[in-house]
Amino acid sequence: MSAVDEKKVNAAGQPDPNWEPNIVGFACNWCTYAGADLAGLSRMQYPPNVKLIRVPCSGRANPQFVLRAFQKGADGVLVAGCHPGDCHYATGNYFTRRRFLLFQRLLEFSGIDPRRFQARWISGAEAPKFRDVVTQMAEEVKALGPNRKLREEL
Amino acid sequence: MSDNMRNNVRDNMGHMNNQLTQEMRDLARELLASGEVKGLFGWTKGSRWYLTPPVFITKPEEADRLCYDEFAVNNLTGLLLDFRDSQDKIAVFVKGCDSRGIVRLVQDNQLKRENIVVIGVPCPGMGDKGAVTDHRQAQELPLLAKCLECRYPNPVLADRTIGAVTVTTEPSAAPSGATAEAAKGRGVGSKEADRFAQVEAIEKMSPDERYAFWQAQNKKCIRCYACRNICPACNCRECIFDSDKKNWVNKAATPTDNAFFGITRAMHVAGRCVECGECERVCPMDIPIMAMNRKLIGDLNELFGPYDAGVKADEKPPLGAFKLDDPEEFM
Repeated sequence: MSAVDEKKVNAAGQPDPNWEPNIVGFACNWCTYAGADLAGLSRMQYPPNVKLIRVPCSGRANPQFVLRAFQKGADGVLVAGCHPGDCHYATGNYFTRRRFLLFQRLLEFSGIDPRRFQARWISGAEAPKFRDVVTQMAEEVKALGPNRKLREEL
Repeated sequence: MSDNMRNNVRDNMGHMNNQLTQEMRDLARELLASGEVKGLFGWTKGSRWYLTPPVFITKPEEADRLCYDEFAVNNLTGLLLDFRDSQDKIAVFVKGCDSRGIVRLVQDNQLKRENIVVIGVPCPGMGDKGAVTDHRQAQELPLLAKCLECRYPNPVLADRTIGAVTVTTEPSAAPSGATAEAAKGRGVGSKEADRFAQVEAIEKMSPDERYAFWQAQNKKCIRCYACRNICPACNCRECIFDSDKKNWVNKAATPTDNAFFGITRAMHVAGRCVECGECERVCPMDIPIMAMNRKLIGDLNELFGPYDAGVKADEKPPLGAFKLDDPEEFM
């Protein structure tokens, strides 16, 4: 992968100031999805870059979902669920925590910037935290530029 | 080592291997003749001096086909999966590294411990057939890297043993039994500290270099799935990569899909890999698969405490367990 590919470029190969990152978020049904809902109901402003996919539990978010998102053009992936101790299924998020802590390191080992993959605890009442996490991640990924690594070539 | 000494070691080893082979045949004959087991996995002499592939025998008179020498590198435990639905009792020979595969399969509920007769064998360290220069003339070969880095030269469990090998779950124990001297002389376990050398070398690269490194490996992968098929930890009844219903899992051998396969395979055996090194040995494209596995082993040890998979059957693998106070550095 050449250095040029890693910069923000448009079709003509010029840096594109209007480029916006594409972020996929896996949100647990019981906490983060409700938190995102509350952010919307409260008319909070946050970047529209994140596309949320509702999963029953953050533990349902398989590392392969993350890889697939990168293959299909995601520039960043977020997995978010209930705080430890608050899991609707009692222990799901404790497994999530171990799995994704390990997975982020494996992604880094494979050459992918660990900032492109994040995991967060966001409860159903934490609409401001949801807004802040998404805003911060969108800014970070925007600074990193488009992700070409693992991208499917058509 | 002088030539003379090297010849002595070799002669001694040849002698010991004959003895071990004899013990192996006697025990196999006994087990099959008495009807204690229905079949037995062992090794047999192959078509070349440096090949000692697996063999499955069911009759006492076939026991003479068995052979053991420094090329019996195959881990036979994965083959037991053929009998996971059977009630038949099967015997299997295991070296130290192989024996952890038994614990793996029992822990994963793939086998019933009482249906397996585990026979521990002492290991002199396995020769690297990659170093063969003359296909006709036998020569002394250097040890495989995995044998130099060996931490479990003795079986961690066994129902029977041959060659007076000690059964121990102690890591980094000295090689024991009939081949102990040969193993020490050949340097089994002498480079244990280098176990993570390749991982560290890759970690020192820049992210783009790391990506390019793995991309070059992924370009080579032909998706033969040999690494998966040989692995005692890859024991799913239906592998996700065989399923025709999950059309988000690609089977095409393109670099990105191979990366998907490689990372998924590594994550699926994370915390469960018994470090037998079989995946890397069978890879026809020489992809450094163990570097990926070792990376995960190193990180798991660092994050959740030291753990050796497939040693103690009552210890849960790290990704199948949790602690309330696990590190949360990136949440």
